[in-house]
Amino acid sequence: MAVDTGAALVADRNRRRRQRQRYVMRRHIGDVVRYLTIIVSLVIILFPIYWMVLSTFQPEKYELTWPPPLFFKGFDLSALREAFTQNPIGLWLGHSFLVSAIAVVVTTIFAIPGAFLLSRLRWRGAAIFGFCLLFTQMMPGAIIIVPEIQIYRTLGLENNLYALSLIYAAFTTPLGCWVLKASYDAVPGEVFDASLVDGCTPLQSLIHILVPLSRPGLTAVAIVAFFGAWNDYLFASAFISDRSLFTEGEGLASFITAGNTALYALIGAGAVFAVIPIILFLAVQRHVVSGLTAGAVKG
Amino acid sequence: MSISILRRRRNEIQARPGSGGWSRRFPLAYRLLIPIALFEGLFVLFPIIRGITMAFQFTRGGITYWVGLANFADMLHDPTFWGSIRVTFEFALCMIVIWLMFGVLLALLMNWSFKGRGLVRALLAIPWAIPDVPIVLTFVIMLDPNVGVINLFASWIPGVHHQIPWLSSPKLAFFAIVIMAGWKGLPFYALILLASLQSIPSELYEAARVDGAKAWGRFRAVTVPGLTPTAALLVILAFIFAIQQFSMIYLTTGGGPGFDTATISVLIYLQAFEFFNYNYAAALAVAGLVMSVAGTTLFVVLDRTVLRRQYFEGRTA
Repeated sequence: MAVDTGAALVADRNRRRRQRQRYVMRRHIGDVVRYLTIIVSLVIILFPIYWMVLSTFQPEKYELTWPPPLFFKGFDLSALREAFTQNPIGLWLGHSFLVSAIAVVVTTIFAIPGAFLLSRLRWRGAAIFGFCLLFTQMMPGAIIIVPEIQIYRTLGLENNLYALSLIYAAFTTPLGCWVLKASYDAVPGEVFDASLVDGCTPLQSLIHILVPLSRPGLTAVAIVAFFGAWNDYLFASAFISDRSLFTEGEGLASFITAGNTALYALIGAGAVFAVIPIILFLAVQRHVVSGLTAGAVKG
Repeated sequence: MSISILRRRRNEIQARPGSGGWSRRFPLAYRLLIPIALFEGLFVLFPIIRGITMAFQFTRGGITYWVGLANFADMLHDPTFWGSIRVTFEFALCMIVIWLMFGVLLALLMNWSFKGRGLVRALLAIPWAIPDVPIVLTFVIMLDPNVGVINLFASWIPGVHHQIPWLSSPKLAFFAIVIMAGWKGLPFYALILLASLQSIPSELYEAARVDGAKAWGRFRAVTVPGLTPTAALLVILAFIFAIQQFSMIYLTTGGGPGFDTATISVLIYLQAFEFFNYNYAAALAVAGLVMSVAGTTLFVVLDRTVLRRQYFEGRTA
């Protein structure tokens, strides 16, 4: 009897151990599958970026060969140097910086009161204002390009980088308002009310309480405006026809549309153009991604 | 005491009493509204109105005639217009499928806690930060029929001849654009879906586990309903993004071959800046305007009814 009980206990223990082993193994396999999926998706998603970098530094004699080498065969800066010396790419980059910086400043100036109108103020017409902002943000640039170019021609504002950057600001201000609104909303209502009790006017509360407390939101607004201006090709191509005033995007695109330059020679300039927003994004992404996504779905 | 002050101060937000007629008649909201309304009115609203009037006009030799609905009549008889509508919708549909399917997959991946998750999340978001022009440069190089790396991968598939003419065949050109635009937009969708995923209360998963639901069952019973409202908004957003997309399509294919990859945005641009039919382009733009107003309205209605979120109701705190 005692022996039987002992045997049953041992059998039971063994069965439980096997179960646990199977469970651990299944979890182990799950982990492996999980990590594999992550690695595979990383490789697929980052491959075009890898190819951009590879094409920039690959020595010229490997650029037009079949099969294309998948890895670095050397490290050659001459194509990049040539792209920068033969074309005014530095100048175009400077123009891109100029229009993006102005767009950032103007967007921020308009988004600070605009978001306040959406967030803390109760007023008649708020719903209409919200819809108009939303519509401006959702509107394709192409539907406004024809009348806009005619207005700019009449005013003599063609080939004017400052006028161009104001259009960018007009197109990014709505999204900026929604992003910043989410940030204002996140400030506890008590803080805002306390400032009113202490004698601030609503405008003073906005300037002294809400704006300083929504610094991540402001960063997100700046990023949105910078990317909007930096990324644009449509408006630049319509408004800027003078080659010495091109932005980097339009300058590079002009080689694509002309179709008579080997794109391999330009990929380095393209990579430099792309790496600036990437660095900017990676530097701030920890702080702004949540604000960006929140504002983007709402707006 | 303080409550009454608070109430009075709050009322001042609507209209500040006592400090003269000007601020009574123009409460803070309107004073703040004027600059932004002027700015947007000048750069967006006025051109829209000007564009609508242009659609009813015709200009030849410096003289402008009112032609009524003639431009629209042309448009309705123009096969390239209907073609562009079809391409726009097909493009939007592909974007929706790619972004939602792979977006959910990526969001699930990034929702797992593992070492280096922050780094992976940042790396996966990079395509979103890259401007369109370098993306086009890179993809055109990768898609080169003679020496492109995509054709190298394709040639590994048994029976595939390696010189696939990606950008000169209509179907393949469309496919290439879908991949390109899908690749760039995916991180944005994944991040939004991830935020939505993280807002699902973990108790629901626990409850499902207690009820004996396996992983797939929990996904169907908890994750899918939790993501549906966001996904519904993202569907409309994808449709709007598809109408907006211009530079990638134009720079990769120029809307070609023929007009086979011309969405409504691309067609407007081609009519205006390659064929110089400004008034006809304005009429096409009105069609685009109708589509984007419809999309925005649908977005707001869905947002307020299905989600019962109140973005426009003033303060929520």
